[in-house]
Amino acid sequence: MSEFRVLIVDDEIDFLETLVKRLKKRKLDAVGVASGEKALDILDRERFDVVILDVRMPGLDGIETLKEIKRRTPLTEVIMLTGHASVESGMQGMQSGAFDYVIKPAGIDDLIEKLNQARERKLLHEERIRSDRKVP
Amino acid sequence: MRKESGPTGRCPDIDITPYPIEEPGQSRLRLFQVLITLLPAALAIPLFLCAGPIYALLALSVAAVSFMVAGYYIGRIARANEQKCKLDLQLIQSQKLAAIGELSSGIAHEINNPLAIIGQEVEWMKHLMKEAGCGSNTPVGGMSEFNDSLIEIGRQVDRCREITHKLLDFARKKEPLIQAVDMNRLIEDMAKLVEKEARQRNVLIERNYQADLPLVRTDPPLLRQVVLNLLNNANWAIEDRGVITISTMRAGKNAVEFMVSDTGCGIPPENLDKIFDPFFTTKPPGKGTGLGLSICHGIISKLGGSISVDSEVGKGTTFTVHLPAETTKGNN
Ligand SMILES: Nc1ncnc2c1ncn2[C@@H]1O[C@H](COP(=O)(O)OP(=O)(O)OP(=O)(O)O)[C@@H](O)[C@H]1O
Ligand SMILES: [Mg+2]
Repeated sequence: MSEFRVLIVDDEIDFLETLVKRLKKRKLDAVGVASGEKALDILDRERFDVVILDVRMPGLDGIETLKEIKRRTPLTEVIMLTGHASVESGMQGMQSGAFDYVIKPAGIDDLIEKLNQARERKLLHEERIRSDRKVP
Repeated sequence: MRKESGPTGRCPDIDITPYPIEEPGQSRLRLFQVLITLLPAALAIPLFLCAGPIYALLALSVAAVSFMVAGYYIGRIARANEQKCKLDLQLIQSQKLAAIGELSSGIAHEINNPLAIIGQEVEWMKHLMKEAGCGSNTPVGGMSEFNDSLIEIGRQVDRCREITHKLLDFARKKEPLIQAVDMNRLIEDMAKLVEKEARQRNVLIERNYQADLPLVRTDPPLLRQVVLNLLNNANWAIEDRGVITISTMRAGKNAVEFMVSDTGCGIPPENLDKIFDPFFTTKPPGKGTGLGLSICHGIISKLGGSISVDSEVGKGTTFTVHLPAETTKGNN
Protein backbone atom coordinates (compact mmCIF):
# COMPACT_ATOMS: atom_id res chain seq x y z
CA MET A 1 0.00 0.00 0.00
CA SER A 2 1.30 3.45 -0.84
CA GLU A 3 2.20 5.85 1.91
CA PHE A 4 -0.45 7.65 3.89
CA ARG A 5 -0.10 11.33 3.04
CA VAL A 6 -1.67 13.98 5.23
CA LEU A 7 -1.77 17.71 4.61
CA ILE A 8 -2.25 19.95 7.64
CA VAL A 9 -3.49 23.49 7.16
CA ASP A 10 -3.35 25.91 10.08
CA ASP A 11 -2.27 29.52 10.47
CA GLU A 12 -0.96 28.83 13.96
CA ILE A 13 2.60 27.92 13.10
CA ASP A 14 3.50 26.39 16.48
CA PHE A 15 0.53 24.09 16.42
CA LEU A 16 1.19 23.20 12.80
CA GLU A 17 4.80 22.23 13.37
CA THR A 18 4.06 20.19 16.48
CA LEU A 19 1.31 18.24 14.76
CA VAL A 20 3.44 17.54 11.68
CA LYS A 21 6.22 16.27 13.92
CA ARG A 22 3.92 14.03 15.94
CA LEU A 23 2.28 12.52 12.88
CA LYS A 24 5.66 11.87 11.29
CA LYS A 25 6.69 10.04 14.41
CA ARG A 26 3.72 7.76 13.80
CA LYS A 27 5.00 7.03 10.31
CA LEU A 28 2.56 9.23 8.46
CA ASP A 29 3.86 11.38 5.64
CA ALA A 30 2.65 14.71 7.00
CA VAL A 31 3.12 18.11 5.38
CA GLY A 32 2.04 21.45 6.85
CA VAL A 33 1.02 24.71 5.18
CA ALA A 34 -0.16 27.91 6.84
CA SER A 35 -3.08 29.08 4.69
CA GLY A 36 -5.99 27.96 2.58
CA GLU A 37 -4.43 29.42 -0.53
CA LYS A 38 -1.20 27.49 0.02
CA ALA A 39 -3.22 24.35 0.63
CA LEU A 40 -4.99 24.63 -2.73
CA ASP A 41 -1.65 25.32 -4.32
CA ILE A 42 0.08 22.24 -3.03
CA LEU A 43 -3.01 20.08 -3.65
CA ASP A 44 -2.77 21.06 -7.30
CA ARG A 45 0.71 19.65 -7.49
CA GLU A 46 0.77 16.75 -5.07
CA ARG A 47 -1.45 13.91 -4.00
CA PHE A 48 -2.73 13.73 -0.42
CA ASP A 49 -5.15 11.25 1.13
CA VAL A 50 -6.53 13.37 3.90
CA VAL A 51 -6.42 17.08 4.74
CA ILE A 52 -6.67 18.43 8.29
CA LEU A 53 -8.08 21.90 7.99
CA ASP A 54 -8.33 24.73 10.51
CA VAL A 55 -11.65 26.59 10.35
CA ARG A 56 -10.59 30.11 11.25
CA MET A 57 -7.83 31.42 9.07
CA PRO A 58 -7.12 34.83 7.59
CA GLY A 59 -7.64 34.97 3.82
CA LEU A 60 -9.42 31.95 2.47
CA ASP A 61 -11.13 30.50 5.55
CA GLY A 62 -11.57 26.84 6.37
CA ILE A 63 -15.06 26.40 4.98
CA GLU A 64 -14.22 28.12 1.70
CA THR A 65 -11.06 26.07 1.37
CA LEU A 66 -13.03 22.90 2.09
CA LYS A 67 -15.57 23.71 -0.63
CA GLU A 68 -12.81 24.40 -3.12
CA ILE A 69 -10.97 21.18 -2.27
CA LYS A 70 -14.17 19.18 -2.65
CA ARG A 71 -14.85 20.87 -5.98
CA ARG A 72 -11.40 20.18 -7.38
CA THR A 73 -10.69 16.74 -5.92
CA PRO A 74 -13.86 15.28 -4.45
CA LEU A 75 -12.08 12.12 -3.32
CA THR A 76 -9.78 13.96 -0.92
CA GLU A 77 -11.21 13.59 2.57
CA VAL A 78 -11.12 16.62 4.85
CA ILE A 79 -11.20 16.73 8.65
CA MET A 80 -12.03 20.13 10.11
CA LEU A 81 -10.08 20.90 13.27
CA THR A 82 -10.95 23.99 15.22
CA GLY A 83 -10.42 25.76 18.49
CA HIS A 84 -13.48 27.94 18.05
CA ALA A 85 -16.23 25.40 17.66
CA SER A 86 -19.51 26.80 16.48
CA VAL A 87 -22.57 24.76 15.62
CA GLU A 88 -23.17 26.95 12.61
CA SER A 89 -19.78 26.29 11.06
CA GLY A 90 -19.99 22.63 12.07
CA MET A 91 -23.22 22.28 10.12
CA GLN A 92 -21.72 24.14 7.19
CA GLY A 93 -18.62 21.98 7.25
CA MET A 94 -20.50 18.69 7.34
CA GLN A 95 -22.89 19.99 4.69
CA SER A 96 -20.00 20.91 2.43
CA GLY A 97 -18.56 17.43 2.49
CA ALA A 98 -16.19 17.32 5.46
CA PHE A 99 -15.51 13.86 6.86
CA ASP A 100 -15.47 15.06 10.45
CA TYR A 101 -15.49 18.17 12.57
CA VAL A 102 -13.14 17.97 15.52
CA ILE A 103 -12.65 20.33 18.42
CA LYS A 104 -9.15 21.28 19.60
CA PRO A 105 -7.45 20.01 21.61
CA ALA A 106 -7.77 16.55 20.15
CA GLY A 107 -5.67 13.66 21.45
CA ILE A 108 -3.15 12.36 18.95
CA ASP A 109 -4.55 8.82 19.14
CA ASP A 110 -8.05 10.07 18.52
CA LEU A 111 -6.86 12.11 15.60
CA ILE A 112 -4.97 9.20 14.09
CA GLU A 113 -8.01 6.99 14.36
CA LYS A 114 -10.07 9.60 12.56
CA LEU A 115 -7.37 9.94 9.93
CA ASN A 116 -7.45 6.20 9.36
CA GLN A 117 -11.21 6.19 8.99
CA ALA A 118 -11.06 9.09 6.57
CA ARG A 119 -8.46 7.27 4.54
CA GLU A 120 -10.50 4.08 4.58
CA ARG A 121 -13.39 6.07 3.16
CA LYS A 122 -11.23 7.44 0.40
CA LEU A 123 -10.07 3.94 -0.55
CA LEU A 124 -13.67 2.69 -0.54
CA HIS A 125 -14.63 5.56 -2.76
CA GLU A 126 -11.84 4.82 -5.23
CA GLU A 127 -12.74 1.16 -5.23
CA ARG A 128 -16.36 1.96 -6.04
CA ILE A 129 -15.42 4.23 -8.91
CA ARG A 130 -13.14 1.55 -10.34
CA SER A 131 -15.84 -1.11 -10.17
CA ASP A 132 -18.40 1.30 -11.66
CA ARG A 133 -16.13 1.78 -14.63
CA LYS A 134 -15.79 -1.94 -15.20
CA VAL A 135 -19.52 -2.54 -15.36
CA PRO A 136 -20.93 -0.25 -18.05
CA MET B 1 -57.39 39.40 -7.86
CA ARG B 2 -55.55 36.20 -7.19
CA LYS B 3 -56.96 32.77 -7.26
CA GLU B 4 -55.38 30.06 -5.20
CA SER B 5 -56.47 27.17 -7.37
CA GLY B 6 -59.31 26.09 -9.62
CA PRO B 7 -59.58 25.17 -13.26
CA THR B 8 -58.67 28.64 -14.49
CA GLY B 9 -55.42 28.80 -12.53
CA ARG B 10 -52.29 28.80 -14.61
CA CYS B 11 -50.54 26.03 -12.79
CA PRO B 12 -52.30 22.83 -11.89
CA ASP B 13 -52.43 21.95 -8.25
CA ILE B 14 -50.25 19.08 -7.29
CA ASP B 15 -51.91 17.29 -4.47
CA ILE B 16 -49.32 15.59 -2.39
CA THR B 17 -51.09 15.61 0.91
CA PRO B 18 -51.44 12.10 2.30
CA TYR B 19 -54.86 10.57 1.78
CA PRO B 20 -56.80 10.19 5.00
CA ILE B 21 -56.29 6.88 6.67
CA GLU B 22 -59.21 5.27 8.44
CA GLU B 23 -59.07 5.06 12.19
CA PRO B 24 -58.53 1.51 13.35
CA GLY B 25 -62.28 1.35 14.12
CA GLN B 26 -61.77 0.59 17.79
CA SER B 27 -65.41 1.25 18.70
CA ARG B 28 -66.72 -1.14 16.07
CA LEU B 29 -64.42 -3.85 17.37
CA ARG B 30 -65.58 -3.25 20.92
CA LEU B 31 -69.21 -3.65 19.82
CA PHE B 32 -68.25 -7.04 18.44
CA GLN B 33 -66.83 -8.00 21.80
CA VAL B 34 -70.06 -7.07 23.55
CA LEU B 35 -72.11 -9.08 21.03
CA ILE B 36 -70.00 -12.19 21.52
CA THR B 37 -70.48 -11.86 25.28
CA LEU B 38 -74.20 -11.17 25.10
CA LEU B 39 -74.92 -14.38 23.21
CA PRO B 40 -74.12 -16.84 26.05
CA ALA B 41 -75.33 -14.29 28.60
CA ALA B 42 -78.73 -14.15 26.91
CA LEU B 43 -78.88 -17.93 26.85
CA ALA B 44 -78.67 -17.87 30.63
CA ILE B 45 -82.29 -16.74 30.98
CA PRO B 46 -84.01 -19.59 29.06
CA LEU B 47 -81.55 -22.03 30.62
CA PHE B 48 -82.48 -20.74 34.07
CA LEU B 49 -86.16 -21.23 33.29
CA CYS B 50 -85.84 -24.69 31.70
CA ALA B 51 -82.84 -26.35 33.31
CA GLY B 52 -82.29 -24.61 36.62
CA PRO B 53 -79.79 -22.14 38.08
CA ILE B 54 -76.69 -24.33 37.68
CA TYR B 55 -76.92 -24.25 33.92
CA ALA B 56 -77.59 -20.54 33.98
CA LEU B 57 -74.44 -19.98 36.04
CA LEU B 58 -72.51 -22.09 33.58
CA ALA B 59 -73.77 -19.93 30.72
CA LEU B 60 -72.78 -16.79 32.62
CA SER B 61 -69.26 -18.02 33.20
CA VAL B 62 -69.00 -18.92 29.55
CA ALA B 63 -70.07 -15.35 28.87
CA ALA B 64 -67.36 -14.00 31.18
CA VAL B 65 -64.69 -16.13 29.54
CA SER B 66 -65.73 -15.13 26.05
CA PHE B 67 -65.67 -11.48 27.13
CA MET B 68 -62.07 -11.78 28.17
CA VAL B 69 -60.93 -13.87 25.21
CA ALA B 70 -62.65 -11.58 22.73
CA GLY B 71 -61.14 -8.56 24.51
CA TYR B 72 -57.67 -10.02 24.20
CA TYR B 73 -57.93 -10.75 20.50
CA ILE B 74 -59.59 -7.47 19.72
CA GLY B 75 -56.77 -5.66 21.49
CA ARG B 76 -54.29 -7.51 19.33
CA ILE B 77 -56.17 -6.74 16.15
CA ALA B 78 -56.35 -3.08 17.08
CA ARG B 79 -52.63 -2.94 17.75
CA ALA B 80 -51.78 -4.62 14.46
CA ASN B 81 -54.07 -2.20 12.71
CA GLU B 82 -52.40 0.76 14.32
CA GLN B 83 -48.98 -0.49 13.30
CA LYS B 84 -50.10 -0.89 9.73
CA CYS B 85 -51.39 2.66 9.70
CA LYS B 86 -48.07 3.90 11.00
CA LEU B 87 -46.19 2.03 8.29
CA ASP B 88 -48.58 3.36 5.66
CA LEU B 89 -47.96 6.88 6.89
CA GLN B 90 -44.22 6.35 6.74
CA LEU B 91 -44.48 5.04 3.20
CA ILE B 92 -46.59 7.99 2.11
CA GLN B 93 -44.15 10.33 3.79
CA SER B 94 -41.22 8.80 1.92
CA GLN B 95 -43.02 8.93 -1.40
CA LYS B 96 -44.05 12.49 -0.83
CA LEU B 97 -40.49 13.47 0.03
CA ALA B 98 -39.13 11.66 -3.00
CA ALA B 99 -41.57 13.54 -5.24
CA ILE B 100 -40.71 16.89 -3.69
CA GLY B 101 -37.02 16.05 -3.89
CA GLU B 102 -37.29 15.33 -7.59
CA LEU B 103 -39.12 18.58 -8.24
CA SER B 104 -36.88 20.76 -6.12
CA SER B 105 -33.61 19.42 -7.47
CA GLY B 106 -34.87 20.25 -10.95
CA ILE B 107 -35.59 23.78 -9.88
CA ALA B 108 -32.30 24.09 -8.02
CA HIS B 109 -30.39 23.02 -11.12
CA GLU B 110 -32.18 25.58 -13.26
CA ILE B 111 -31.57 28.37 -10.79
CA ASN B 112 -27.94 27.52 -10.16
CA ASN B 113 -26.70 28.59 -13.58
CA PRO B 114 -28.19 32.08 -13.68
CA LEU B 115 -27.09 32.45 -10.07
CA ALA B 116 -23.51 31.64 -11.00
CA ILE B 117 -23.64 34.23 -13.77
CA ILE B 118 -25.03 36.92 -11.46
CA GLY B 119 -22.23 36.14 -9.02
CA GLN B 120 -19.61 36.43 -11.74
CA GLU B 121 -21.00 39.72 -12.99
CA VAL B 122 -20.95 41.13 -9.47
CA GLU B 123 -17.29 40.19 -9.14
CA TRP B 124 -16.59 41.78 -12.52
CA MET B 125 -18.35 44.99 -11.56
CA LYS B 126 -16.40 45.18 -8.31
CA HIS B 127 -13.24 44.73 -10.32
CA LEU B 128 -14.21 47.52 -12.73
CA MET B 129 -14.96 49.82 -9.81
CA LYS B 130 -11.55 49.19 -8.36
CA GLU B 131 -9.87 49.85 -11.70
CA ALA B 132 -11.75 53.12 -12.02
CA GLY B 133 -10.39 54.11 -8.62
CA CYS B 134 -13.61 53.94 -6.69
CA GLY B 135 -13.20 50.68 -4.80
CA SER B 136 -14.82 50.05 -1.47
CA ASN B 137 -12.41 52.30 0.46
CA THR B 138 -12.73 55.43 -1.66
CA PRO B 139 -16.04 57.08 -0.87
CA VAL B 140 -16.31 59.19 -4.04
CA GLY B 141 -19.76 60.73 -4.20
CA GLY B 142 -22.51 58.22 -4.87
CA MET B 143 -19.98 55.56 -5.69
CA SER B 144 -19.67 54.26 -2.15
CA GLU B 145 -23.38 53.52 -2.13
CA PHE B 146 -22.99 51.83 -5.47
CA ASN B 147 -20.33 49.64 -3.90
CA ASP B 148 -22.52 48.79 -0.91
CA SER B 149 -25.25 47.69 -3.27
CA LEU B 150 -22.86 45.42 -5.11
CA ILE B 151 -21.70 43.84 -1.88
CA GLU B 152 -25.30 43.28 -0.82
CA ILE B 153 -26.14 41.63 -4.15
CA GLY B 154 -23.16 39.36 -3.70
CA ARG B 155 -24.32 38.45 -0.21
CA GLN B 156 -27.82 37.59 -1.33
CA VAL B 157 -26.49 35.52 -4.23
CA ASP B 158 -24.45 33.56 -1.72
CA ARG B 159 -27.55 32.97 0.34
CA CYS B 160 -29.49 31.66 -2.65
CA ARG B 161 -26.57 29.47 -3.58
CA GLU B 162 -26.49 27.97 -0.11
CA ILE B 163 -30.16 27.06 -0.41
CA THR B 164 -29.88 25.52 -3.87
CA HIS B 165 -26.88 23.50 -2.72
CA LYS B 166 -28.79 22.20 0.28
CA LEU B 167 -31.66 21.28 -2.01
CA LEU B 168 -29.42 19.43 -4.42
CA ASP B 169 -27.87 17.69 -1.47
CA PHE B 170 -31.27 16.65 -0.24
CA ALA B 171 -32.16 15.10 -3.57
CA ARG B 172 -28.74 13.72 -4.34
CA LYS B 173 -28.75 10.11 -5.33
CA LYS B 174 -25.19 9.47 -4.25
CA GLU B 175 -24.82 6.09 -2.64
CA PRO B 176 -23.53 6.15 0.92
CA LEU B 177 -20.06 4.76 1.66
CA ILE B 178 -20.40 2.22 4.41
CA GLN B 179 -17.90 1.94 7.27
CA ALA B 180 -17.94 0.41 10.73
CA VAL B 181 -18.82 3.12 13.22
CA ASP B 182 -18.84 3.36 17.00
CA MET B 183 -22.09 5.25 17.28
CA ASN B 184 -21.59 6.39 20.86
CA ARG B 185 -18.39 8.12 19.91
CA LEU B 186 -19.76 9.65 16.78
CA ILE B 187 -22.67 11.10 18.71
CA GLU B 188 -20.49 12.28 21.57
CA ASP B 189 -18.25 14.21 19.16
CA MET B 190 -21.25 16.11 17.87
CA ALA B 191 -22.65 16.60 21.38
CA LYS B 192 -19.41 18.32 22.43
CA LEU B 193 -19.74 20.65 19.50
CA VAL B 194 -23.24 21.72 20.52
CA GLU B 195 -22.58 21.69 24.26
CA LYS B 196 -20.60 24.91 24.44
CA GLU B 197 -23.32 27.00 22.86
CA ALA B 198 -26.02 25.15 24.78
CA ARG B 199 -24.39 25.80 28.13
CA GLN B 200 -24.33 29.52 27.53
CA ARG B 201 -28.11 29.38 27.50
CA ASN B 202 -28.32 27.08 30.53
CA VAL B 203 -29.17 24.08 28.42
CA LEU B 204 -27.64 20.90 29.79
CA ILE B 205 -26.82 17.85 27.72
CA GLU B 206 -27.42 14.52 29.41
CA ARG B 207 -25.94 11.31 28.09
CA ASN B 208 -27.49 7.92 28.24
CA TYR B 209 -25.19 5.79 26.14
CA GLN B 210 -25.48 2.04 26.17
CA ALA B 211 -21.98 0.77 26.75
CA ASP B 212 -21.79 -2.44 24.72
CA LEU B 213 -23.40 -1.14 21.57
CA PRO B 214 -22.55 -3.13 18.44
CA LEU B 215 -20.68 -1.32 15.71
CA VAL B 216 -22.96 0.15 13.11
CA ARG B 217 -22.18 -0.14 9.44
CA THR B 218 -23.12 3.21 8.09
CA ASP B 219 -21.88 6.35 6.37
CA PRO B 220 -20.15 8.35 9.14
CA PRO B 221 -20.27 11.89 7.73
CA LEU B 222 -23.91 11.49 6.73
CA LEU B 223 -24.81 10.25 10.19
CA ARG B 224 -22.91 13.14 11.76
CA GLN B 225 -25.02 15.51 9.74
CA VAL B 226 -28.20 13.93 11.08
CA VAL B 227 -27.05 14.04 14.71
CA LEU B 228 -25.92 17.63 14.39
CA ASN B 229 -29.21 18.70 12.85
CA LEU B 230 -31.26 17.02 15.56
CA LEU B 231 -29.11 18.48 18.33
CA ASN B 232 -29.29 21.91 16.80
CA ASN B 233 -33.08 21.71 16.53
CA ALA B 234 -33.34 20.56 20.14
CA ASN B 235 -31.10 23.38 21.29
CA TRP B 236 -33.19 25.87 19.36
CA ALA B 237 -36.45 24.54 20.81
CA ILE B 238 -35.36 25.35 24.35
CA GLU B 239 -35.66 29.03 25.00
CA ASP B 240 -33.71 29.19 28.21
CA ARG B 241 -32.89 26.55 30.75
CA GLY B 242 -33.64 22.98 29.84
CA VAL B 243 -32.21 19.58 29.13
CA ILE B 244 -31.28 17.74 25.98
CA THR B 245 -31.03 14.00 26.53
CA ILE B 246 -29.14 11.80 24.13
CA SER B 247 -29.63 8.06 24.41
CA THR B 248 -28.32 5.12 22.45
CA MET B 249 -29.51 1.55 22.73
CA ARG B 250 -29.69 -1.79 21.08
CA ALA B 251 -33.02 -2.42 19.38
CA GLY B 252 -33.47 -6.12 18.99
CA LYS B 253 -30.75 -8.26 17.50
CA ASN B 254 -29.85 -6.40 14.36
CA ALA B 255 -30.54 -2.78 15.03
CA VAL B 256 -29.52 0.14 17.17
CA GLU B 257 -31.43 3.24 18.08
CA PHE B 258 -30.56 6.69 19.22
CA MET B 259 -32.82 9.35 20.60
CA VAL B 260 -32.52 13.09 20.98
CA SER B 261 -35.01 14.48 23.49
CA ASP B 262 -35.47 18.05 24.56
CA THR B 263 -37.54 19.87 27.13
CA GLY B 264 -38.34 22.57 24.62
CA CYS B 265 -41.47 24.10 23.13
CA GLY B 266 -42.80 20.95 21.49
CA ILE B 267 -44.51 20.60 18.12
CA PRO B 268 -48.26 21.13 17.71
CA PRO B 269 -50.02 18.00 16.41
CA GLU B 270 -51.08 19.68 13.18
CA ASN B 271 -47.40 20.27 12.29
CA LEU B 272 -46.17 16.79 13.09
CA ASP B 273 -46.61 15.41 9.59
CA LYS B 274 -45.12 18.51 7.98
CA ILE B 275 -41.82 18.89 9.80
CA PHE B 276 -39.99 16.51 7.46
CA ASP B 277 -41.13 18.44 4.38
CA PRO B 278 -38.52 20.59 2.73
CA PHE B 279 -39.00 24.28 3.51
CA PHE B 280 -41.35 23.71 6.39
CA THR B 281 -40.09 25.94 9.15
CA THR B 282 -41.53 27.95 12.03
CA LYS B 283 -38.39 30.01 12.36
CA PRO B 284 -38.47 33.66 11.29
CA PRO B 285 -37.52 34.31 7.66
CA GLY B 286 -33.79 34.20 7.10
CA LYS B 287 -33.22 32.16 10.25
CA GLY B 288 -34.07 28.66 9.04
CA THR B 289 -34.48 27.15 5.62
CA GLY B 290 -36.63 24.28 6.83
CA LEU B 291 -34.36 21.80 5.11
CA GLY B 292 -32.72 20.31 8.20
CA LEU B 293 -35.19 17.56 8.95
CA SER B 294 -35.90 16.73 5.32
CA ILE B 295 -32.18 16.19 4.81
CA CYS B 296 -32.14 13.99 7.93
CA HIS B 297 -35.07 11.96 6.63
CA GLY B 298 -33.41 11.53 3.25
CA ILE B 299 -30.12 10.41 4.79
CA ILE B 300 -31.69 7.96 7.22
CA SER B 301 -33.80 6.33 4.50
CA LYS B 302 -30.70 6.02 2.36
CA LEU B 303 -28.96 4.32 5.26
CA GLY B 304 -31.80 1.82 5.53
CA GLY B 305 -33.18 3.17 8.79
CA SER B 306 -36.14 5.19 9.93
CA ILE B 307 -36.72 8.36 11.89
CA SER B 308 -39.77 9.22 13.95
CA VAL B 309 -40.93 11.97 16.23
CA ASP B 310 -42.91 12.20 19.43
CA SER B 311 -43.86 15.53 20.85
CA GLU B 312 -46.06 17.35 23.28
CA VAL B 313 -46.51 21.09 23.19
CA GLY B 314 -44.98 22.73 26.23
CA LYS B 315 -43.30 19.51 27.36
CA GLY B 316 -40.77 18.65 24.71
CA THR B 317 -39.86 16.56 21.72
CA THR B 318 -38.12 13.26 21.07
CA PHE B 319 -36.65 12.20 17.77
CA THR B 320 -35.85 8.50 17.45
CA VAL B 321 -33.55 7.13 14.78
CA HIS B 322 -33.51 3.43 14.08
CA LEU B 323 -30.53 2.01 12.19
CA PRO B 324 -29.65 -1.49 11.07
CA ALA B 325 -26.50 -2.89 12.69
CA GLU B 326 -24.80 -5.67 10.78
CA THR B 327 -22.79 -7.08 13.60
CA THR B 328 -22.02 -10.33 11.80
CA LYS B 329 -19.86 -8.67 9.20
CA GLY B 330 -17.60 -7.35 11.93
CA ASN B 331 -15.43 -4.30 11.70
CA ASN B 332 -13.62 -4.47 8.39
N1 LIG C 1 -36.80 19.63 18.67
C1 LIG C 1 -37.80 20.38 18.16
N2 LIG C 1 -38.70 21.00 18.98
C2 LIG C 1 -39.69 21.74 18.48
N3 LIG C 1 -39.90 21.95 17.16
C3 LIG C 1 -39.05 21.37 16.30
C4 LIG C 1 -37.96 20.56 16.74
N4 LIG C 1 -37.29 20.11 15.66
C5 LIG C 1 -37.94 20.62 14.58
N5 LIG C 1 -38.98 21.38 14.96
C6 LIG C 1 -39.93 22.08 14.06
O1 LIG C 1 -39.77 21.57 12.75
C7 LIG C 1 -39.45 22.64 11.86
C8 LIG C 1 -38.59 22.12 10.75
O2 LIG C 1 -37.31 21.75 11.23
P1 LIG C 1 -36.08 21.70 10.24
O3 LIG C 1 -34.88 21.29 10.99
O4 LIG C 1 -36.45 20.89 9.05
O5 LIG C 1 -35.94 23.19 9.73
P2 LIG C 1 -35.52 24.48 10.58
O6 LIG C 1 -34.81 24.04 11.81
O7 LIG C 1 -36.71 25.33 10.73
O8 LIG C 1 -34.51 25.19 9.59
P3 LIG C 1 -32.97 24.75 9.31
O9 LIG C 1 -32.78 23.38 9.89
O10 LIG C 1 -32.88 24.76 7.84
O11 LIG C 1 -32.18 25.78 9.98
C9 LIG C 1 -38.85 23.71 12.73
O12 LIG C 1 -39.00 24.97 12.17
C10 LIG C 1 -39.65 23.55 14.01
O13 LIG C 1 -40.90 24.19 13.90
MG1 LIG D 1 -33.17 22.54 11.78
